[in-house]
Amino acid sequence: MSRVQVAGPLIAAAALLCAVAVPFAFPHAEYVLDVLFLIFLYGAMSAAWNIIGGFAGQISFGHAAFLGVGAYATMILWGEGWSPWATLPVAGGLAAIFSILVGVPSFRLRGPYFSIATIGIGEATRLVALNWSKLTGGASGLTMAAGPPPQIQYLSALAVCVAAFGISWWIVQSRFGFALAAIKQDTDAAQTLGVDTTLFKTLALALSAALVGIAGSIYAMHYLYVSPDSVFGFSTAIALVIMPIIGGVGTVWGPLIGAVVYTFIREQFAVKLANADLLAFGLLLVAIVLFEPKGIVGAWGSVMARRAFRKRAAGVAARG
Amino acid sequence: MDTLSTLISAILVAGLYATMSYGLALIYGVLKIVNLANAGFLMIGAYATWWMWTAFGFNPLLAPLVIVPVFFLIGIAMERTMIQRVVDQEPIISLLLLFGVWLVLQNVAYLLFTGDTRSITIPLTDAVYQRGDIVIPWARVYVFAVGTLALVAMQLFLTRTQLGRAIRSIAQDRDAARLVGIDVKRVNAIAFGLGIALLGLGGSLLSLLYSFDPDFGRTLTLKSFCIVVLGGLESFVGVAFGSIALALAEAFGLRYMPASLQNLISFVLLVVVLIAFPKGIAGLLRRRSGV
Repeated sequence: MSRVQVAGPLIAAAALLCAVAVPFAFPHAEYVLDVLFLIFLYGAMSAAWNIIGGFAGQISFGHAAFLGVGAYATMILWGEGWSPWATLPVAGGLAAIFSILVGVPSFRLRGPYFSIATIGIGEATRLVALNWSKLTGGASGLTMAAGPPPQIQYLSALAVCVAAFGISWWIVQSRFGFALAAIKQDTDAAQTLGVDTTLFKTLALALSAALVGIAGSIYAMHYLYVSPDSVFGFSTAIALVIMPIIGGVGTVWGPLIGAVVYTFIREQFAVKLANADLLAFGLLLVAIVLFEPKGIVGAWGSVMARRAFRKRAAGVAARG
Repeated sequence: MDTLSTLISAILVAGLYATMSYGLALIYGVLKIVNLANAGFLMIGAYATWWMWTAFGFNPLLAPLVIVPVFFLIGIAMERTMIQRVVDQEPIISLLLLFGVWLVLQNVAYLLFTGDTRSITIPLTDAVYQRGDIVIPWARVYVFAVGTLALVAMQLFLTRTQLGRAIRSIAQDRDAARLVGIDVKRVNAIAFGLGIALLGLGGSLLSLLYSFDPDFGRTLTLKSFCIVVLGGLESFVGVAFGSIALALAEAFGLRYMPASLQNLISFVLLVVVLIAFPKGIAGLLRRRSGV
């Protein structure tokens, strides 16, 4: 085993330990806890999107629908007297079932057609939530009085985040991940080689939706408020697409980096000037697509490669 | 509302739909990319009309005379600087690029014009033609007339001029067009410019009928996707057919469902069509029956 192979998991374990310790070490650093909570929650969603959008190459603009299904499931059941924690699996399960219902027909579409259909699915879900007032409270949404303490919220977001990245990490080295990679590169060729492309795409989507649904559930516990515009809104859908792309679409850790950048830009810009954050994301997206389609992870990779090349070149030159 | 009245308003709406969808079809036909920034250009077209009207008192009815050429040049500049680089890559890349462009347009508009809803009111936008049960707003007639005129001019350009034929030949077979000596890069830029110019026109016309904010155009763009997919991509007749089909479905669907769900019709139709005829679309792509 090389040094890097040992160092990687060690660093990850140390980082995880630090992350778990934060709420106990600094129980009164509310702002820091809040920002970290958001990073973990968005990181989980970002990694979840990356499973279908990055590994399988099926760009979805409709993931807000799964977030919304999860968030609404929690709010509705919580309002009925359930414990919010008991709603977590329900939220994930419902989001997964919903994703299968919309995914099976949509996966008959390829590439941009699939992406366009997902915009339609997202909008349609929002409209249904808006009009099904009996269940969803309509435009005014649903509210709860008090949620779990912030430390517990923090730890649960961290847990979902770890789960999402653990699954991503497992996927890239599993047969499942190879199948998704084959689908991404050439769906027809994968099908010819015996990969059941629809099955694998649907599985990837269901897994992705379940994680996003659970994240939606925690989102609801944190904000104690869901409405069609907050969870099904366009900015939510945008966030889910943009984070993995900024970080590095189809990489394991890119989505986490994307979530950090996203949370930072949002916290910095949104307070000063409304919509400046979305403008920044748009510019970032254009720049990334034009210059570095692999995002920050890709840019880092090419910087390292160039440096290694220069070192080697210098070594050759020194030896003459 | 009786059937005749519904029919007339559906046809007027269909003309508007065709105008705003043809840009999408043209760009897809020639460059084989889906213009996800569609909504953004519609919205900017509407704001440009509004801005010229409030700032300089420029007649909104004549705004297209300025907007169309300016948008054409913007489209060409955009193709030269950005689209050109992604046109031969996998479709997802251009989709994401144009999604980013849309975000930029939308949020620049928020910064410039704030999120307040704007609308244009001139004598024409309030005037209606009334006879018995039939009520027709004159603005809709005007929009229909200008839109149809633009589409007919476009069709004549595409079928009767050398450049128009070059555009259609690329839509049919890019490699063959290249072989017979057509400057594909130049024609790509012109086609993209024309597509954006049509969106500017569409946005300008829409501003006479609807109030708008920087998020304007999203629902309409989904409708355009629906129309283009319904009618088959890149076909002029197809766009007209898709527009009429959607307008009729919406107009008559309203009788059976609340108005707040009207926009759902296009999404449902879009998803149903995409799912029911994926082969049909592929078949149309293969046949490429010309613009």
